Amino acid sequence: MISEQGRILEKLLSGEFICQISDEDAWRFLKTSGNSDKIEPQLNMLNRTLSSAADGDVFFAAYLHLGDNERSVLGSQFNEIATNLLPLVEWLLLVQQASGSDVPVTQGTAIRLGELQTTIEDTPAFTEQLEKISRYRLFGSTSVNLDGQLKQVFKRLTDLGYLLKPNSEKQIFVATGKIEYLYEVLRFIDETEALSLSDQAENAVNQGSLL
Amino acid sequence: MNQNLHQAGIKFLNALSRHGDLIMQVYLQGTLDESQHSPKVVQSLVQMGVLWRPEDNAKLRLKTALRQLLEGSLQDERNRQVDANIGGALASIKTLAQHYKEAMHYGRYGETDAHLSDLTEHVYGLTESLSNSVRTLFSRINNEFGYVASIDAKIRENELAQSQVSELLNQLELFHFDELSELAGSHRELRHLLVVTLQQSFSKVTQELSIVQARLLALLGRFREFKGRTRLLNGFVLHMEQKPDFTPTNYTQLSQVPMLFNQAKGILKPAAVDVNRVEHEQDLQLLVGKLKALHRADAQEQPERKAKPIEVEEQSALEMEESGLRDAVEAYFCRVIDTGERLTALDYYAMHELPYDPEVWIYQVIGGYQGLPEEEQAYFAIDTTGSPHPVYNGNYIIQDVELGLR
Repeated sequence: MISEQGRILEKLLSGEFICQISDEDAWRFLKTSGNSDKIEPQLNMLNRTLSSAADGDVFFAAYLHLGDNERSVLGSQFNEIATNLLPLVEWLLLVQQASGSDVPVTQGTAIRLGELQTTIEDTPAFTEQLEKISRYRLFGSTSVNLDGQLKQVFKRLTDLGYLLKPNSEKQIFVATGKIEYLYEVLRFIDETEALSLSDQAENAVNQGSLL
Repeated sequence: MNQNLHQAGIKFLNALSRHGDLIMQVYLQGTLDESQHSPKVVQSLVQMGVLWRPEDNAKLRLKTALRQLLEGSLQDERNRQVDANIGGALASIKTLAQHYKEAMHYGRYGETDAHLSDLTEHVYGLTESLSNSVRTLFSRINNEFGYVASIDAKIRENELAQSQVSELLNQLELFHFDELSELAGSHRELRHLLVVTLQQSFSKVTQELSIVQARLLALLGRFREFKGRTRLLNGFVLHMEQKPDFTPTNYTQLSQVPMLFNQAKGILKPAAVDVNRVEHEQDLQLLVGKLKALHRADAQEQPERKAKPIEVEEQSALEMEESGLRDAVEAYFCRVIDTGERLTALDYYAMHELPYDPEVWIYQVIGGYQGLPEEEQAYFAIDTTGSPHPVYNGNYIIQDVELGLR
């Protein structure tokens, strides 16, 4: 029988994100102080180290030493993240607006595809937005009908690990910790590039109310 | 007087139950649509003080007292009112307690009973209103201000609730238990009401309020976090609209790569099967058993199974050859009939120099004779010349046959 430690190690080395939603046992194990030291030597042997983001909501394996090879891997990874950022952000906003509760999608948010589809179908602005989002290379939908577009977007997001489908028979998706990672990336870029995104949004709202 | 009050109360309550439908409608909608109900009913309800008209042109509304009663007993979450007038309640309690003590002092026992029941009413009223206030606060927290949609509204609701909590806490400071216990003195009933009951309710409420306060702060934090995230997302989309070619610097080229972007590639691939491991045998067999054997044999070319036109020619040619012999036999039979003489088969064979083997010829003659229908056989007499097999074995060797007419 494979040990819990080995199982977690395998997940980390496969490049997976471990969060409370995707694997609660593993996440708790890593959260417990001292446990991470147990797997660190094995990771180090393979030039990896345990890393966490979003206040310990997600764990993943990072490189311990960066050589040229590692840098090129990270570089292409970063380019992917950067290009996928806008589609993902637009998708997050669409779900948030369509759900009507004004609550952003966070780790553990359950999204019922049926309900979402009804709202999007009933609102032409959302329909257009979905069409635009589904055409991004990230999602790559070629479908002309809304049903196909929505399914493709959610399928891709599930493949990429942003969503989880707990019951394969039901169209209910749960956001994983990778969504938190996404916010963290956004925040990081915001701060590093001094974009002051929040202020921009605030100003736009204020200007809108002035008009 | 008391009897009258009782009667009037029952009449009032009956009226309420009779028009329960109307009252609930007003409660839910806020105002009364007078056109839908008979003016007489509406008028009587106004007179009883159930409905009232705030201004001349305004629509009729439910009296606050009744509305509060309904909100309280229906545990309606829309009830945001928190009754924080503890100071007033305490003052009246103190006054009543003094009345009671005075009456006791002068021995007016009739009055003491009335004062005590009044006092009890007030004390329980105060404790009930305190626990009610806490309950409404809790119910609003528990569904995270679900009755308003936007995060901004939730934040405002949260702030309202927080101000209500601090107001309640301020008011609770008006409880001075030393004063109350001094007031109660040695009267057992008073002590029970003023010290025990109030103290219990006080400690319970303060405890719960501190929980409420903590929860409210946590909720506010969450709402702010939500708002921050929404702003972040909106801001990013706005930014991308204004500067579509924006790409962040590739941080991975920096000498110190931020941990956030240091994400190792997955290196594990699925392991391969080891067929020599005995302990895996069963699992592997199961797997193999699950393989579907498909015998979908390719329909190969099978020329021998192809449909072919039936060739009749060859068969008829074969018959022709055979029938030469048969024709000769027939001719021999005819010769016997024509001449009427007896003639052996071998003589006929010699006469016509037939090309067949003599044995085959004799065989065919016998066969030809036995092949005739029975009535034709009767015309011929057939005789065989031959001898039994030299070594007796039951066989008879025919050397020749002789055919003649009967």
